[in-house]
Amino acid sequence: MTTFRLIRQEIMHRKLNFTLSLVVIVTAVALFVSFFTTGQASKHETTRIMRNIGLNLRIIPKETNMEKFWTTGFSEYTMPESNVYQLASHEGLSYAHLTATLQGKVFWQGHEVILTGVAPEVSLPGKQKPPMTFQIEPGTIYIGFELVRHMGLRNGDVIDIFGKSFTIVRCLSESGSQDDIRVYGELHDVQSLLSMENKINEIKALQCLCIVNGRNTDDLDVLREQLAQVLPDTKVVLLQSIASARERQRLMAEEYFAFIMPIVVVVCLAWIGVLAMMNVRERRAEIGIMRALGYGSGKIALLFLGKAVATGLIGAVIGFAIGTGLALEFGPDIFKVTASMIKPAFALLYWSLIAAPAFCALSVFVPAMAAVAQDPALILREE
Amino acid sequence: MLRLEKVSRIYRTRRGDVKALDKVSLFIEKGEFVVVRGPSGSGKTTLLLSIGGMLRPTEGQVITDGIDIYALSKRDRARFRAKNIGFVFQLFHLVPYLNIIENVFLPASVVKNRSGRTDARELLKRLNLSERESHKPSELSAGERQRTAIARAFLNHPRIILADEPTGNLDPENADQIFGYLAEFNRCGGTVIVVTHGTAADQFANRIVHLKNGRMEESSKNE
Repeated sequence: MTTFRLIRQEIMHRKLNFTLSLVVIVTAVALFVSFFTTGQASKHETTRIMRNIGLNLRIIPKETNMEKFWTTGFSEYTMPESNVYQLASHEGLSYAHLTATLQGKVFWQGHEVILTGVAPEVSLPGKQKPPMTFQIEPGTIYIGFELVRHMGLRNGDVIDIFGKSFTIVRCLSESGSQDDIRVYGELHDVQSLLSMENKINEIKALQCLCIVNGRNTDDLDVLREQLAQVLPDTKVVLLQSIASARERQRLMAEEYFAFIMPIVVVVCLAWIGVLAMMNVRERRAEIGIMRALGYGSGKIALLFLGKAVATGLIGAVIGFAIGTGLALEFGPDIFKVTASMIKPAFALLYWSLIAAPAFCALSVFVPAMAAVAQDPALILREE
Repeated sequence: MLRLEKVSRIYRTRRGDVKALDKVSLFIEKGEFVVVRGPSGSGKTTLLLSIGGMLRPTEGQVITDGIDIYALSKRDRARFRAKNIGFVFQLFHLVPYLNIIENVFLPASVVKNRSGRTDARELLKRLNLSERESHKPSELSAGERQRTAIARAFLNHPRIILADEPTGNLDPENADQIFGYLAEFNRCGGTVIVVTHGTAADQFANRIVHLKNGRMEESSKNE
């Protein structure tokens, strides 16, 4: 008679005890899996929103008059282009996707134009990421909608700006903002056009989401503090976004989860332990006769621990299926932007298949030892 | 073959010590059928469990075939028990979730009895239980359950059968049948020790041992 068969037959015989234990472990696994799966979706959602919003940090010269800045849309002061490399050389900053820009208002062919030079993105050490903004090749330009409309320009046209020839590689669609009167060019081309070599008036950047982990501190304070240490002659403007609010919400949910999960674990541990203890009491006579027939302590313990492991394995599979099902069913309603990104996290299944049986075995350890410690003579005498 | 030397067993309780066996000495020859009789609480079951290696005496020795069984390790004693001793209890103690053939087969895995399943079938046939092979204990009558327990006790070809009130829950007809099987085992050379407070087993016994208050009062040959 194999241990496996004994366990299987006992499970089939005492279905209620097994089912109640299974419900507990399924609930715990499903709760964890559904939260984790939707949590991952939330993270993707936040990242996607952040990317859609674009670069939300604007680092400008310290002496910039903010009234003028908001009126014109850029700083009238400049700073050295090397600032961007200086900033990029520091580790542990909450800035990413550093992009040096130079903007200047000019009159060109009877139109007021904002010339905007954009440098390739600079990554921080160890944070190599695909660029978020477009990269403009030297000698080429992107041209705003209003200028295209008034001047009848098309992709591929070669135009002259202040004595230099540029090829239009993209005519931008209507944005309803200052961008409609912009001419984007490569930074060094624009520096040359504005006679401001090696100068920039803004570094655009993306706020690293990790900063909102410091919930007790204002994000902007952290950013300012970091910037003051590296570039003391600059200041930073943060465009508050829905992404950071969403990230805070996610972290808050994670915090609640971190609070609730240990309680769930302890309750499940106790519940399974109590059920196992009831099972041991119910099987006293069986343990007694098995000992009389020569079964050793190890085999008796294995009957209970083996059953716990079997419960854990089945619970892990069912719990994963239910948890994933819940995430797939309700997740898309919650995270509309990334609904398609909510996918079964199969890595969790592997972890569940390890953790749930271990957890069940831990719960049943004390009852199993109680079963082993029972005096068979006492049981058989009482009976 | 089986020798008990001044075996005492004291149960320690909150209300004081209870002496279940008091310096019991007994010698049982191979192939004997011994009935241990006495009123409730006289120490019969304690004596049986002590002989079976299930209950360590507080004092004294239990020697089977020259081996002091309580000098063996727990593991070796369990193995010794599985190979040499078969138990039959008043309440049958069948495992409720196993069918009859599985219950009978249960001791085979302890001693790696390779012919266990064939032997189990053969025993069920001998005890007229072949048709009940796939039934659960709850589907059997009391007599059938006790016959199953006897088949289980016989499976590993033990040298000794220890039976504790084996007919306590049976009608006289079934009781006779059970003692008949035990007598048959005895005729084939096996030693049988039956604990009972009734007289139904007397007709099969070579010897009757009387216990009272944990003491052996007399041991008489059955004529």
